[in-house]
Amino acid sequence: MSNEQAANGKPADPMEAFRDMRDNYLDAWAKAMVQTVNTDAYARTSGTVLDTYLSASSPFREAVEKAMLRVLEQLSMPSRADFVALADRVTNIEMHLDDMDAKLDRIEKLLTKPATAASNRNPRSTETSRQKKQKAKGAK
Amino acid sequence: MPEAAVLTDPFTDMVGKLTTFNKALTTKTPIAQTPKELVWALNKAKLYRYIPVVPKEKRHPVPLLLVFALMSRPYILDLRPGHSFVEYMVNSGYDLYLLDWGVPGPEDKNLKFDDYCLDYLPRAIRKMKSVSGVEEFSMLGWCIGAILSTIYSCLRPDDGLRNLILLTAPLDFSNKENITFARWTDERYFDIDKLLAAFGNMPGEMIDYGARALKPVENYIVNYLKLWDNIENPQVIEAWQAMNTWVTDNIPMTGGTFRQLIVDLYRNDRLMRGEMMIRGERVDLSRLRANLLTVIAEGDHITPPCQSKAILSKVGGKDKELFNVPGGHIGIMAGSGANKRTWPKIDSWLAGRSK
Repeated sequence: MSNEQAANGKPADPMEAFRDMRDNYLDAWAKAMVQTVNTDAYARTSGTVLDTYLSASSPFREAVEKAMLRVLEQLSMPSRADFVALADRVTNIEMHLDDMDAKLDRIEKLLTKPATAASNRNPRSTETSRQKKQKAKGAK
Repeated sequence: MPEAAVLTDPFTDMVGKLTTFNKALTTKTPIAQTPKELVWALNKAKLYRYIPVVPKEKRHPVPLLLVFALMSRPYILDLRPGHSFVEYMVNSGYDLYLLDWGVPGPEDKNLKFDDYCLDYLPRAIRKMKSVSGVEEFSMLGWCIGAILSTIYSCLRPDDGLRNLILLTAPLDFSNKENITFARWTDERYFDIDKLLAAFGNMPGEMIDYGARALKPVENYIVNYLKLWDNIENPQVIEAWQAMNTWVTDNIPMTGGTFRQLIVDLYRNDRLMRGEMMIRGERVDLSRLRANLLTVIAEGDHITPPCQSKAILSKVGGKDKELFNVPGGHIGIMAGSGANKRTWPKIDSWLAGRSK
């Protein structure tokens, strides 16, 4: 038992040496790969792969889009282009509403400011006319 | 009988580990739990205000707006309780707002930096000022959010921006040798028109691949080995799972913005050269007069440090500081050392300038 324990009392892990070796290898590989991906050769290769994929998939994509458009037309349903146009209009309306909301905020502040300022100058100004009359009667 | 037990145990152990591993890979953890309220929305964008926990008289009077990148979820700033920048700042007495750009759909493919900087940001800021009842504010932009914040700050220098914090800001694209993305998106190899004609928006999966492929061994192998090595440590699993939830939650970038990012910035470095045009207005960095803190991640492969330094010599303000943090693009704000290094620095820098 004592042979299997490390100096700190924990059981020795037979996999530790393997893990250290693995980590050292991965570390070296990671550094090499970081350098590899930052080369013109890698950029050219990944660009070509992407280009080939886009070229190869383009006819299918276009065919599906056209067929879908025809189906939607026959079913009298809106297409993606219709939704895009509608979304633009909704966002425009949202922006106008937002601007109006901000203007109302400003107007509200302007309307409440003089009253607040006046009440600060003369606290009695917030009294109703009835309260003022009652006070005047009381004074007499 | 004892022999059978000896034989069974390693298998039971392995099944347990595999179950935990599988669960960590496939389960989403609860994220973004700091209480907040929605105060404004426009199209997909939403502005949230975090519910203050510090009494008003002890709070910093200048509110702080967080602006995250367009192609990732902003909840990385509020990942999980106890490990959340948002929670830290709310507890430090900031009136905190978060601008979530949302997930763009095909109908948003034409949105550009112009729209984000001149339609969305100013309106969100106007609402924030109205809700907080103040005229001045601070802004923190991270990654692409830092580009948006910088452009906005230059175009609207009189909007009340007092403090600007830029985190891992990709602003300078002159050193193409050190910027892997610049190499990949070079016009000789990368046909952006063809890509956007096919997809409209830049798909989130492709952006994710690009970010991971910068460090392929770390992201595709070491990351999962780390989880396996710590499979019996619940704390590590919890942290890993939260980060994995965020990393795998990708969103697309609008086609218009992606085109500007590649053509105007990665290929032509127009922002630093003072040639970037936003709705006919030139983005002049010398018009940025707010107090400026630029945070650089020393081990950042997405935004190498060389991209964030030059801004300091170009802006018009006098109060400017560069802060280097060891760590990666995301690690400096969401890693285990963030609450000891980056967050306290941001807090101390901002607190003195938020009175």
